[in-house]
Amino acid sequence: MNFLTNISIRNKLVLIQVLTSVLVLGLFATIFIVRQINDFKTRKALDIGSIAGVIAQNSISPLQFQDADAEMKMLNDVETVSPDINFISVMDRDRNDFAVLGKEKADSDDYSTYRNSVGTFFTDNDLIVVRSIDNGGETIGKVYLEVRLTELTRMKVHMLRLATALALLAVLAAFLISIGMQSYISSRLLALVRVMRRVGDTGDYRASIRDEGSDEISVLVKGFQRLLEQIRENERRKDEFIGVASHELKTPLTNVKGYLEILNTLEDREPQREIVERAFANAGKLEKLIADLLDVSKIQTGQLELNLTDFDMDELIRDSIASTRMLAKDRSITQMVRVECTVRADRQRIEQVLLNLLSNAVKYSPEGNPIEVNAVVSGDEITVEVADYGPGVPGGEETAIFGRFYRARGISQHISGFGLGLYICRDIVNRHRGRIWVRNRPDGASFFFRMPVKGPT
Amino acid sequence: MKQPVKYAFAAISLVLLTGFGRAGPQEPEIETNLKAAFLYNFTKYIDWQLSPDETTFVIGVVGPSDIDGALKEIARTGTVNNRRIVIRRLDRLDQLGSCQLLFISRRCRFRLADILAKVGKGEITVAEAKNAARNGTGFNFILVGDKLKFEANTKALNSSGLRISSQLLKLAIIVK
Repeated sequence: MNFLTNISIRNKLVLIQVLTSVLVLGLFATIFIVRQINDFKTRKALDIGSIAGVIAQNSISPLQFQDADAEMKMLNDVETVSPDINFISVMDRDRNDFAVLGKEKADSDDYSTYRNSVGTFFTDNDLIVVRSIDNGGETIGKVYLEVRLTELTRMKVHMLRLATALALLAVLAAFLISIGMQSYISSRLLALVRVMRRVGDTGDYRASIRDEGSDEISVLVKGFQRLLEQIRENERRKDEFIGVASHELKTPLTNVKGYLEILNTLEDREPQREIVERAFANAGKLEKLIADLLDVSKIQTGQLELNLTDFDMDELIRDSIASTRMLAKDRSITQMVRVECTVRADRQRIEQVLLNLLSNAVKYSPEGNPIEVNAVVSGDEITVEVADYGPGVPGGEETAIFGRFYRARGISQHISGFGLGLYICRDIVNRHRGRIWVRNRPDGASFFFRMPVKGPT
Repeated sequence: MKQPVKYAFAAISLVLLTGFGRAGPQEPEIETNLKAAFLYNFTKYIDWQLSPDETTFVIGVVGPSDIDGALKEIARTGTVNNRRIVIRRLDRLDQLGSCQLLFISRRCRFRLADILAKVGKGEITVAEAKNAARNGTGFNFILVGDKLKFEANTKALNSSGLRISSQLLKLAIIVK
């Protein structure tokens, strides 16, 4: 049954149809052949039985007058009209051979076995009819007839060939018909499977599938469609909530941050000044998280728009490194090579990407390990790499880490965040008609993003 | 099994098994028995057209022969058309004409023509002499090789007015 579970619906349908056809045909062919053979045997037994009757009738007087010559003459006549009779023996009442024809062709084992019985017998190759010769209620002898069933053997071979040919034809026909018919059933299922797979892979719940009908597959399709609608509705509500919540949180937070900034300039006593500074830093982090949520909300609602300008990539990298150093003062962050390239893109968003990659590198690699930034231009594209010397991305999660609210297993537990950074990065890079990916090295991880130098158009 | 049939077949079997049946100057007893059995078997292939008042079936033996002993043995239990068989030895010509089946011994002292002149309708004659059938008997026993066979004179048989089964005639050597 495991084997059946693992083969596709399409093949299952074909298999079922072919098997059913072969089974039905096989059954009917067997019944037909067995009947034909039995009919033939019955007919033959009747034929030979009546010949035996004639011989018995005509053997009475030769037996009574002991005229073996007349008996032989009669047997010869019988053999002329029934050439398929192999062997005839007429025995007297003491079962001594009285007249024998074709002894050299007889199956002597059969003769010794059946000569003492009376009746019709089928052996492997022969039909044997043994009949008593009666006269006036008395048995005065016996006639033994042996017929070689070559015709039956020929018939069996012929029928077997016919059945094989028919079976092959049926398999072929069943296969072709089922191929034609299964597509009606399986194509709808496969279409559903395709959509489900796409939804599963991309998380794009806007997919739609249509199926006119009222059978089980339609019920399944409609059920899936309803499920998608519910998910879409939930997504919409969640996005709406995120949008509203982040917006509502942002306004008071801006005020809090502003007051803290003023307090920071006014306060010069220790430890009050340090406390205010920490509060200010945490308010900054909170602001960043809310900004991420707002971005996600914009991405989801399609409101994230690019503001394209021409800028110097080296400068952007330098600024980003500088900003990151403000947060991680003791880390060595280096731009390895200068690209000297002017790029047309949304500077603020690309900086957001770079800052995100750099801050991840800081967060996910042990303190003291350096972080390197490389950029290279090839053709019309620029590729930027942020390399760290940390534990790398867990195997199998290289694509998943770019998903929404995704946090790498095992290594993210002690690191704060919503798991939105890489999702936003991917969206920004994609909007620039670029690509973002990660590659593990033996000594760390490298995040790359590549995009056209001349902008997304 | 009916006694006479058993007797007849015992005789036949013995003849075949021992190779007896060969004719000699002194006719062996076995040949006589075989002839008696044949005579009895003849009766089964002839439509005797017996009238209801004929309650017995008479086999006559004319001339010296040991066959009447064997025939009497058969007659003890055998019947023809459900009638008792009576064996009658006929010593005088005027006794002829009163039986259904007449056996003429080879050693009969009467001339064949005289005998046949006395035989009437409904009577079958069986002889055992050379050319007897050719000379007018219905049947005649002869030896072919070492086998006992019989000749049949269809003209004589026809003149008896009785119908003889083809099953019997096909075994006979037909003479004219």
